[in-house]
Order: sequence, then structure tokens, then C-alpha cells
Amino acid sequence: MAVRTQFENSTDIGVFSKLTNAYCLTALASSTNFYSVFESELADVIPIVHTTIGGTRIVGRLTAGNRHGLLVPSTTTDQELQHLRNSLPPSVAIQRIEERLSALGNVIACNDYVALVHPDIDRETEEIIADTLKVEVFRQTVASNVLVGSYCALSNQGGLVHPKTSRSELDELSSLLQVPLVAGTVNRGSEVIGAGLVVNDWCAFTGLDTTATEISVIEATFRLQGQTSAAVINEMRDSLIDHYA
Amino acid sequence: MSSVAGLQRIAPVPTSSDFIDIVLNATMRKTPTVIHKNFKISRIRNFYMRKVKFTQDTFDEKLGKIISEFPVLDNLHPFLSSLLNVLYDKNHYKLALGQINTARHLISQVSKDYNRLLKFGDSLYRCKQLKKAALGRMATIMRRQKDPLAYLEQVRQHISRLPAIDPNTRTLLICGYPNVGKSSFVNKITRADVDVQPYAFTTKSLFVGHMDYKYLRWQVIDTPGVLDHPLEEMNTIEMQSITALAHLRSAVLYFMDLSEQCGYTIEAQCKLFHSIKPLFTNKPTILVINKIDIVRLADLSPENRAFVDTILSDKSVIVVEASTYSEEGVMDVRNVACDALLAHRVEQKLKGNRIELVANKIHVAVPQKRDDLERKPFIPDTVKHKVKYDKEDPNRRRLQRDEEQEMELSGMGIYSADTKKDYILADDSWKYDKIPEFLNGKNIADFIDPDIAEKLDALEREEEALEAQGFYESDESEMLDSDEEEFRDAAAQIEKKKASIKKISQEKNHLQNRPIIPRKKKHVTLSEFTTGMRKSGHDPLVLEKRAARLMEKKKEAWEAAEARDAAAEAAVEGDMDVDMDEGVVEDSSRPSKGKPIRTKSGMAVSRAPRSNRQMAGLATIGQSDKANELRDFAQRLPNRLAKASESDRHVPITRPKWMLAGKRKGGKTDRR
Repeated sequence: MAVRTQFENSTDIGVFSKLTNAYCLTALASSTNFYSVFESELADVIPIVHTTIGGTRIVGRLTAGNRHGLLVPSTTTDQELQHLRNSLPPSVAIQRIEERLSALGNVIACNDYVALVHPDIDRETEEIIADTLKVEVFRQTVASNVLVGSYCALSNQGGLVHPKTSRSELDELSSLLQVPLVAGTVNRGSEVIGAGLVVNDWCAFTGLDTTATEISVIEATFRLQGQTSAAVINEMRDSLIDHYA
Repeated sequence: MSSVAGLQRIAPVPTSSDFIDIVLNATMRKTPTVIHKNFKISRIRNFYMRKVKFTQDTFDEKLGKIISEFPVLDNLHPFLSSLLNVLYDKNHYKLALGQINTARHLISQVSKDYNRLLKFGDSLYRCKQLKKAALGRMATIMRRQKDPLAYLEQVRQHISRLPAIDPNTRTLLICGYPNVGKSSFVNKITRADVDVQPYAFTTKSLFVGHMDYKYLRWQVIDTPGVLDHPLEEMNTIEMQSITALAHLRSAVLYFMDLSEQCGYTIEAQCKLFHSIKPLFTNKPTILVINKIDIVRLADLSPENRAFVDTILSDKSVIVVEASTYSEEGVMDVRNVACDALLAHRVEQKLKGNRIELVANKIHVAVPQKRDDLERKPFIPDTVKHKVKYDKEDPNRRRLQRDEEQEMELSGMGIYSADTKKDYILADDSWKYDKIPEFLNGKNIADFIDPDIAEKLDALEREEEALEAQGFYESDESEMLDSDEEEFRDAAAQIEKKKASIKKISQEKNHLQNRPIIPRKKKHVTLSEFTTGMRKSGHDPLVLEKRAARLMEKKKEAWEAAEARDAAAEAAVEGDMDVDMDEGVVEDSSRPSKGKPIRTKSGMAVSRAPRSNRQMAGLATIGQSDKANELRDFAQRLPNRLAKASESDRHVPITRPKWMLAGKRKGGKTDRR
């Protein structure tokens, strides 16, 4: 199920929210509209937490996490950390990381089993990621972009990556991540997938500008309607060719 | 926002009389209006030249805007270009724009001519007449553009109302005889609202509707009916259909009415298909048999069936039956047409090289297994039986947004989300506990540790164990002390040594920066000298004796000189100069020779100089006078006003006669 939404007239919702299989973080906004979109879909299933990180609202870009844990940057205040600890279930480990590349959401892309990270990340940070999130960590680029978190969205069932990722690179990444991958866009052609889309194993939220074709690709890729991605993409093949070419 | 793809918005074109009013008004408002015949002639000329130039500029700008805003037919997409040709007649359109362009040139020519003439205008009146003539001629030129301007305005209005047809997108084009049900079909499959009436040529222009199919947007164009006659005899309405057929890459849906209710026989309808068939090449063609609620293809008589079969003999034509009345088969028609067009377009695109760019987007990368680990998705069970949120449901979940809206509507104040409501804590009563951020200048967070009690216990246990082992007993303390003392001594010595080295070094630097008196020139007292010699083991007795002798001699010489001076002073005392008065007063108390020059209190007594320095080197009074004179001359005050003397005084003429006498009027002469 993919839901279109926006944060205060911005369609880059991945900047202002973080969605995993165990929790959801949303930025504190002037109204609760954005929060309530998540609330209507996820309430009673996973905790949805209103928070800031280091006093900013770009929580999605500053944090990285999955079902097992949440990584926050060194700019996070003690109060925010306490708030997150109180709000998240005990099974989720929270770890504050001293890392030069402090926008962890941009430099880490992960699901519950595998993480892709920026090639320049600290060795210690890499270990912390592996321990806290219980994932295998790979230093990788996506379509020769080092900000892997910005240019892809992953769940345990599939992944959407930068539209310029070549076929061979797609195959390589797919084998690393062990999920089917599709190159695509969100928000009417935007290539920053991480900013336009937040997804977990059973639902997705995309920017308001996302077209019907893009939504169909997203739903097929992440198997949100219970279908297999390959079959659906093949069915959409003609439409996609006519749409993109 | 363009109203038609490829055509930009055009500003309204005023009528010729409005045009003149607008420009002349602008000239009035934006150029100076006050001029006087007594002003300098160059100023008057400039005043009028500016007006003429400004009027021409304004005309130029406005006409140029019209010319640039109207589309150039040759630069447009062929479809738009020929549609505009059909609707407005290309020649007429070009002519109108050409005339406007000529008018623009003529106006600039007029302006150039009159500006040249204005340079020779020798009075306000003449300049004004020239300006008037220039503006008049420009207005006349514009007045002659009445017809082109009116025509262009009509074209503009029509263009702005054209449907937004995108010539490049997926298009279904619907054509056929009048009254066969084309518009009803468009109304059925899109949200367009085309007028449907039971007479021919209800649709007089192109209409566009949009629909979604297979995740894509499709454009459906409803064309006016076409009659079967040669191209030259077709009217504007029919020509629009032909233009669309000729230039748009689309699927063609040819509609036929087998019931002949439209007023045309099946034979005629088939003939029309064949005569416009050349326009269908390279396009998926679908023959739509409409009104099957009355007559189906199967019900046809053999001779009529033969006519239809002439069309169907071409295998590329797909035939579909539908009824827009009973809505039977309408969606089939749409799907068949869309699929055919999509397949056709994809086939075309696969031939091109752009397909390389999208190859990765239609590829699903399936992972190769690299280990035996199973990576299952994690979906909580609550998701599976969660009721989907529905805005209309009265028992829906109350969201924070609802609370916020309620609060706003009731005017109870500003809503602030409660972030602590959903805390997961051991005891719910802890949720709203207030914890200070800082306590006694310490950050509370630094001391938060779930295991703090345990760690404290461990520390205490360790301490006890150490104590039990006798770790803290101090039998070696004295040894340690003596060691320590030794250490400190050494440190102090080092300190001292360091300080002395530092001092020496500083003094060395200190001396370097001072004038050093050579040892030979240094004053050394006898006692210093002798002690020095004694120290180094020499006997200074000879030296001491010599020194005493020399001293005696010097003293005698000095005493003799004193006595001479005193005698000389006593002789001069009477005629001492006044400027030495202090010396004179003191002279009486002057110590006599041999007496120490100190008062009883031990203070040194001031002594007047013995000679007048001002007189030094001057032999006679005459010489001294001369010197004074020279000095006074050298030190005279400078002549700051540069006047020859006090009598050097100038009084300017206040009322010159040449200016005030004679028959002159104001403003004729300048007094410089």
C-alpha cells in the first residue's frame, strides 16, 4: 500500500520521516497533518514518534535504522536521546555515533539484514552499524553516487535505486542485498529516491508529486500488494518504455 | 501556462484607435511637459525631439511585442502549423504580421526624419509644429493598421480557446461521417463534455478528452465529421479533421454506423474510408462498428457486407463492435485501440537508440544466492487484521489531526502535540515526570546509567578487598619521603641553575643594546685601579705616588686660573650687561676661590655663565647690530594675502553699466 503525502508543501518526505519495521520517526511540524498520515496507516502496529534530531526537523536524513536498532548522529541532544529511548520499544537499540559524515540517513541504506554505506565512513562506525543494526555492512556506491542512503530505498522484499544505475550494477547490488532491485524515480522524475520515499515491509509513503506509473513500480518492487515484482514489471513493460523513452 | 502545447500565451491586441491613445497617453505621462519660449533653443529642441523619439520607441516596443508573441507558423509542429493554416489562412496571417512590421519600420523612419528636422527648428513654435506633424504622421500610419490589428485580435482569441493538444503524446483519433456517434464515444470514455445532437456537424472543431489506461495518460481527440469529397472542396471544419489525421502520430478509430441512421449509406461510409485511407498509413487503424444495439455486423445484407469486407480485406485493420447507447463494447474499443497504439509506439521506440537509456528501468535485478541465510520479511501480525483507515467511516480512529482541527474550530487555543503520551515505560505514571536537564551544574544525562547501583557495589567490593589486603598501609612511607626529598632538592637545584643561566643570557643581551664605553676611556678611580692591581699581585706604590704628584700639579693650575678669573670679574663688574642680571645678583654671593661651591645645606649654587653667547664671535657692536638686523629680517611674518602693500586694495564693479544700460530684456545676457 503506497500513500502519497507531503510535509509542509515539500514532497521530500524521506527528509522529514524515517520508517522501519519496528518504528516510525516523524519531524515535529507546525500542524499534525503529516504525523496523522502515518498514524492512520500505522497506529497500533508500530510506535510513531514525533521528534527532532539535534534541534532540526530533517530526522530522516540524520538517522539510520531498522527493526533492530536506531543510529543517531553526535548532534543529537541528551534530551532527544532520552525521548527516543522512552518512545521506542526495548528491543530497539539506540546508539549515538561520533561520525564525521553526520547525516547518517544519507550515508547508510539498510534493511533488517544488509546495509550499504558510504565508502569513506569510519571503520569504527562500520563496526557499530554491524553491531547495533545486526546487519552485514558493504561499502558501496549507487550509480557512482557515494550517498547511498539518498539514492536508494530498501525493504526486506525489494529495493528502488537511482534511475541511472546500470543493469550490471543493479545485478551486483541485488546480489549483495539479496533482494530484487529496480531502477526508478519518485516525485515525477526525481532521482533522490531516499528523499521521496519511505518504505517498510508492508507499506510505503511517497511524495505528493509521485505519478501513477511511479506508484505502480513502487508497489510492484516492494511487493506491497502481495505480487511478485518481476511479473508486474514485465506486465508494465510497454507502459514504462512509452513513459520513459 | 500555455493554453495549447507549443503555443505561448499572447497578450491582447488593442484596436488601432486604442493603440494610438495608449501610446500618446504614455508620451504625455512619461516625458516632461513644461517648456517656455524663453528657454535656450537647444533645450526646446531637445524637449520636442525627446517627445518624438519616445512616441516612436513606444510604438516600436508595442508592435515588436505583437510580432514576437504571435507564433511563427514555420517553427511550429506541423500539426499546429497546418491547423492554424486551416483556421486562419496562413497567407492572411503572414500578411497581417507583415503589415504590422512595415508600420513599425515606417514609424521609425518618420521619427528619424522629424528628429533631423527638429535640429533646425529655430523657435518654440516651429519645433512644436514639427513634433505635432511627426506624431500625426505616426498616428496616421497606425490608423491604417486597423484591419490587421482587428484580425490579429480575433486570431489571438481563437488560439487561446484552442484545446490543449499535445502532438507527441499517446493519442486516439476518432473520425468518420457526421452523426455516427464519435462525440458520444468520447463522452463515454473520457471526462470531456462534448455536445451531442442528432444533426450533422454538431462538432465544429477539435475536442480533447483525457483518460488513464495502463498507468498512462491518453489523449482522445474528437474530430468533426468528414464528407466524401475532394480535398479542395472541403470546408474549414472538415479540414481540421484532415489536419489531425495527417499530422498526429495516433491510433485512428474510424466510426461506422451500419444502421444508416446518420443519413449516409454503408457504401458511402466505406468509400470515405478508402478515400482518406492514405492518411492512415503507419498508424494502427481500428474500424469501430457503432450502434450495434440496432444493427450488428452479422445482420448485414450480403451486398452491404461486401462493402465492409473491402475494408476488412486489409489485415492491419482491426474491427470492433460497440454501442455508445447501450455501452456494449465501448471499453473493448478503448482497450483494443490503446493496446494497438502502445504496441505500435513501443515497436517504434525499440528501433531507436533511446531504448538503451531506459533498458535498466524495465529490468528487475533478481539476486543470486550468496549464502544459505534466509532473509524473511518482517510483517507484524497486527498488520494483517488491521482495518484500513477510511475517512468516511464513523467509527474511524481519532487521529491527532482530528484533535487539532477540533481545538482550532472550538477556538480553545493552539494545539500542541503530546509527545509523551506514547512513552513505553515500566510504570505509566512516570510518563510526565519532570526531570531537570541540569542539576548543581551537572548534566543529568551524563550520570544516567541503568547499572549504576551495580557498578557502585562492585567498586565498593573492590575497595574492601584492597583494604583487606593491606594495600593502603603505609610502612614504606618514610622511604618514599626521603626519596621524594631528594627528588625535590634536585629539582630546586635545576631550577636555580636554570634561572642563573637565564639571567646571564639576559644580561648579555642587555649589554649588547647599549653604547659601550671603551675601557681606555672609562673613568677609573685610583683606589679601584690600585685594589685591582693588588688583587692581581702587583705593587701599585709607584703608580700611587705618580698619581699624587699629578694631582698636586693639576690643583695648583686650577687654583691659579680661579684667582685670575676672580681678578678679571672684579674689574668688569660695573659694566655688566642687564640680561645677566641673575648672574649679577648672585655674583656677590659667588664663592671665592678655593671655597667649595656648595651652600651650607650642601646644595650646588647656580653659577651665571661667564660670557654672553649672543655676542660670541662678534668683534664689534656694529657687527652685532648687523647680525640682529639679519635675524629680524629672516624671522619676519610672511605676507599671506599676497598684497603689494596696504594700499593694494581692489573694489569690484557692483553694477556694470554695460549690463544695466540699453534695451536688453531679462535672460539675454549672462554676467560671467
